[in-house]
Amino acid sequence: MNALQWWLTLSILLFCIGAYGVLARRNVIVVVMSLEVMLNAVNIALVAIANFRGGDPGAGTLFALFIITIAAAEVTVGLAIVIANYRNKRTVQTDQFNELKG
Amino acid sequence: MPGGDFHPWFFVIVAAWVLICGLGVVAFKKIMYSAVSMVLCFLGVAFAYALLDASLVAIIQILVYVGAISIVIIFAIMLTELQEGRYDQFFNRQSIFAAPLAVAAAAVLTVVVASSDISGVTDKALNPGLKVLSDLLFNRYVFPFELVSLVLVAALIGAIVLARKEEERS
Repeated sequence: MNALQWWLTLSILLFCIGAYGVLARRNVIVVVMSLEVMLNAVNIALVAIANFRGGDPGAGTLFALFIITIAAAEVTVGLAIVIANYRNKRTVQTDQFNELKG
Repeated sequence: MPGGDFHPWFFVIVAAWVLICGLGVVAFKKIMYSAVSMVLCFLGVAFAYALLDASLVAIIQILVYVGAISIVIIFAIMLTELQEGRYDQFFNRQSIFAAPLAVAAAAVLTVVVASSDISGVTDKALNPGLKVLSDLLFNRYVFPFELVSLVLVAALIGAIVLARKEEERS
C-alpha cells in the first residue's frame, strides 16, 4: 500500500467508527458528535486525495473547507432541534423520540 | 510504508491518536468524556491536515471544530439531562447489528482501497499554497462561497427560531 492508501484507510476506519456511534448510541447528542466524526473522516479523504493526486489544484482543499462550514451549520440546527425537543419531552434518548411517526 | 514525503511514524502517531479518540467518542459512558474525546479527535484530524500539507484546512479545523463546534456541543450537553445507569443502557437495541455492520463496511472498503491501484500522481505534495487557494476561492469558487454564507445565515436564524422559548399566546 502506498501513502494515499494508508490515508484512505485511516479515513475509512474513522468513518466506520462514527457510523457505529450513529447507529448504536442512545443519547442524541452523542449521535450528533459521531456525525461530526464521520464528516471529519470524509474531509481527511478529500484532503489526502487532493494532496496526492492533484488533478484540479485547490478543489479538494476548498471543498473540505466548505464541508467544515456546512458541518458548523448542521450542528447548530441539529442541537437547536435537540434543545427544543428536550424542552417539550424532557429526554435526549433517541428511542423516546417517537412522536414523528411515518 | 513507501512514499516520498510521507512520514510513517508521524502518520502512525496521528492515526492512532485519531482512531483511539474516535473510539472514545463512541464508547464512553459519561457524555462529557465523549465530548472531550471528540475535541481531542478533532485536534488529531487537524494534525493530519498539517501532515498532508493543507495548513489552511488545519487552521480552520482548529478554529471551527476545536473552537466553535465543541463549545456548542458542550453547551447542549450542559443544558440537557445527565443520565446514569448501566453501560448497556447507553446503547439502543439495534446496536448488536450495528457493530458487525460497521466492521463489515470497514473491512470491505479497506480491501477495496488496498487492492485498487490508486496511487499518488507524484510523491510530492500537490496542495497549493494560501495565495493560490484564496485566488481560487474568490474567483472561481465565489458562487459556492456566497451560497455557503447564505446557508450559514439561514442556519443561524433557524437555530434561534427553534431554540427560542415559545412565547405565551393570549
